Amino acid sequence: MDLILELIITFFAIIGFGIIFSVPRRVLLIGGLIGAWTWFALQTALEIGVTDIVATVIASFTAATIAHYLARKLQIPATTLSIPGILPLVPGSLAYFTMLAFVEGEYIEGLENGVQTMLQAGGIAAGLVLALSLFSFGKGIGNRYETGDQ
Amino acid sequence: MGAKADKVMDVCLRAGEIMLTYGAETYRVEETIERMAQAAGFTNVHCFTTTTGIFLSFEERKGKGDLMQMVRVDNRMQDLNKVTEVNQVSREFTSGMLTVQEAEKRLEEIYRAKIQYPIWLIHFGAGIAGAGFSYLFGGGLFDYIPAFFAAMLASIALVEIEGYLKVRFASEIAAAFVGSSSAIAFVMLGLGQNIDQIIIGSLMPLVPGVPLTNAVRDLLSGDLLAGMSRGVEALLTSLSIASGVALAISIFL
Repeated sequence: MDLILELIITFFAIIGFGIIFSVPRRVLLIGGLIGAWTWFALQTALEIGVTDIVATVIASFTAATIAHYLARKLQIPATTLSIPGILPLVPGSLAYFTMLAFVEGEYIEGLENGVQTMLQAGGIAAGLVLALSLFSFGKGIGNRYETGDQ
Repeated sequence: MGAKADKVMDVCLRAGEIMLTYGAETYRVEETIERMAQAAGFTNVHCFTTTTGIFLSFEERKGKGDLMQMVRVDNRMQDLNKVTEVNQVSREFTSGMLTVQEAEKRLEEIYRAKIQYPIWLIHFGAGIAGAGFSYLFGGGLFDYIPAFFAAMLASIALVEIEGYLKVRFASEIAAAFVGSSSAIAFVMLGLGQNIDQIIIGSLMPLVPGVPLTNAVRDLLSGDLLAGMSRGVEALLTSLSIASGVALAISIFL
């Protein structure tokens, strides 16, 4: 029950963000749905019992995959959908508590929160990378060895 | 240089300029420009884009020297609708549905167009977004309304102050200060309980979501220079927000 309320609130919050970033009108609702999916994936993964970081990676990966797929279908830049998709993961509260701890002179607590914030941001990036590599399969962006046949 | 080459150069650079200004990743800008120039029949097309400028060079005819121009991009805003529209124009141009003149006209329209949502709706959206996130980060439903107004005030402050200040980061500090002090004021007036969650909510609309995502994407596609500069931009914005909040907390709490 709580989850359903959270999903509805996420949906509207992401639409609000979509308006701030001026996401095109025809995909505004889709962006909201992807955001709601991200929150659902994050909560479900946490429920199953994986750690925060892994849950973030899972949620970010699935959201970015959906965003890339739909962007290709609707012929719009993938950023338009992947930004609403990853917004629910942004570690805003962790970043705030990090800063609060430093302001109050609790340096150890601040460092702890800071490391977790960085890791969570890294998790979002990891999810994006995985989805990107899935969709640029065969294009060979950033190869280290010349194994291709060109 | 020939008249056509001149025109195509202008059109390509204008398309790139709009995309870069309104928050496209640099790899997308480079790809778009290269495709458009190739579709217009030029060879040896090279485009180099960083977060602050675009260089484009191509060869009009074999044997003749290469042409090269650059544009400088000073402002960086977030308007994904314009990016999408330029993307559409380049798609049509590449597939031969648009002539150079038509493409130029369309780009000029996009460049001139106002932001697609009215400004009050943007402030309202900021309120909804901030309030939603304050709930998601553990605030109660009782905190929804104060977070809504605090986020709206932060958004209004950002837009209004940006009109006067030339330094972007200063207006972000000021907006974060306004947002968090109004959040503190609401709690002191007895509206809302969780001060931390309301402050977080009021700041969420300021978070640099677009530069952050683009920085990751740029770094991954090998645009190290552009990725680093955009990452630094996002980092500076976050630091400005943090210092604005820190200021409000240390003064009022």
